[in-house]
This record gives sequence, structure tokens and C-alpha cells, in this order.
Amino acid sequence: MAESEFEPLIVAFCCNWCAYAGADLAGTSRFEYPTNVRIIRVMCTGRIDPPFVLSALRWGADGVLIAGCHPGDCHYVKGNYMMERRFNFLKEVINHLGIEPARLRLEWVSAGEGGKFAALIRDMTKEIKDLGPSPFRRLKSGEPV
Amino acid sequence: MSEPRKLIKKTDATIEALKTQRLRWVMGISQVGVKIDEKRYHEAVDNIMKDEIERQMIIGAVKERGPLTIKELSEATDIPSNRVLRHIIALRKAGTVSEVGEKEHGYLYAVS
Repeated sequence: MAESEFEPLIVAFCCNWCAYAGADLAGTSRFEYPTNVRIIRVMCTGRIDPPFVLSALRWGADGVLIAGCHPGDCHYVKGNYMMERRFNFLKEVINHLGIEPARLRLEWVSAGEGGKFAALIRDMTKEIKDLGPSPFRRLKSGEPV
Repeated sequence: MSEPRKLIKKTDATIEALKTQRLRWVMGISQVGVKIDEKRYHEAVDNIMKDEIERQMIIGAVKERGPLTIKELSEATDIPSNRVLRHIIALRKAGTVSEVGEKEHGYLYAVS
């Protein structure tokens, strides 16, 4: 796959109360952001089980974004703190597997930050483009998984 | 096996490992709807604690007395030599200890 043709696929897990509403606001405010992102709504980032993230990478995502409420703003009080703890663990895990830790991002986006969400997707898409396809995608283009 | 295939195998194993109770406790996840077996919980925590404590004991002994063999470490720490060997393998892999020489048909280990 030529570098210029490469369009990354980003899976974004967004919390229902903040980041998903932020993404919604980005849409209604007509902020432009790349179409490389596939948003999955979860009720809270605390619902995201580490195998979800790893499976997303395993089945072809080039990057995974986890977006939740700002610390202290969690609708369920401490879900985002739980995710932060797991996220640090997950970074170690994917580093151990030999996948660039930059493919994984945890960001706090509130319901009012539509602009921030759009900027975040633009930034992440650019970063993943620079990194190139994920090791799993490289295999997919050549031989069956 | 090609490198990407190995990666896929390892990733699949990791996904399974992340579902195991031992790792989930380390990550602070308790499974909703699944009753945590108290006996197994204590066993897992005990094992993790025991491993960590024994490893620190080995490191302490080496720091205190200089390079030691598995046999000497076992005597110094009162940990059976087969367990010492297991810990040394793990510590060597993590780069905490390394071989620095030989003594009486055994390797000497020191903190790297």
C-alpha cells in the first residue's frame, strides 16, 4: 500500500455524557474533521474493557481513541479514573506486543468541546498517517488473517 | 511462522490473558454479575505478593552480599532453589539481574 494512499482507520470509544455529546456538537456546529474515525458510543469510559481496545487493533484499526469526561466530571463519579488506570496498563501491554503506543490515546472531551473534538480527530489522523498502517493491516493486505 | 502471524498469535493470547481474573484484579476490574470466588482471590493476591516479596528478597541479598549463585541465594533467603531459579529467570528477563561470572559449576548473579 503506497504511503500516499494510506487512509487510517480510527476507532473512537466515546462516553455518552461528554465525548459523544462533544462529537455531536462538532457535527451540529459544522466543524470539519476527517472521516477516518468510527465512533462507538459507550455509557462511560469505565465500561471499556481492555480486550475491546486490543480487539479493535487486532481486527484492523490503525488507532484507538478513548474519549471521556474530564476528571471529576464523570457521570458515574469515577469511571474515567478507572479507565485511566486500565489505559496505563494497556499502553504497557501494546508496547510489549511491539505496537506503537502512540496508536492508543486517552483524551478528555466535555459536551461543550465540539471544536476540541474535531481538532483532536484531525491531530490523531495526522499522527496515525505518519505512523503508517498498523502491523495487523500490513498483514491483511498481503495474506488472509 | 512469519512475524505478523506471530504477532497475531501473541495478540490473541493477550486478549485472552486480559480476560483472566488475575490480570483483571491487577487492573482493578471486578466482573459485574460474576461472583468473585474469595478463595481464588486470596490465592491470586497471595501468589502475586509472594512472588514480588521473594524477588525483592533476592535483590536485597545480592545487593548486600555481592554476586551469588542460585544455591547461595537459596541459602541466604530460605527460598527453595527451584523458586529462586524461576525468579532469577524473570528478573533476568526484566533486566534487573544479570550473570556476572561462574562459581562451582553455577552462574553468579548480580544486580545490573
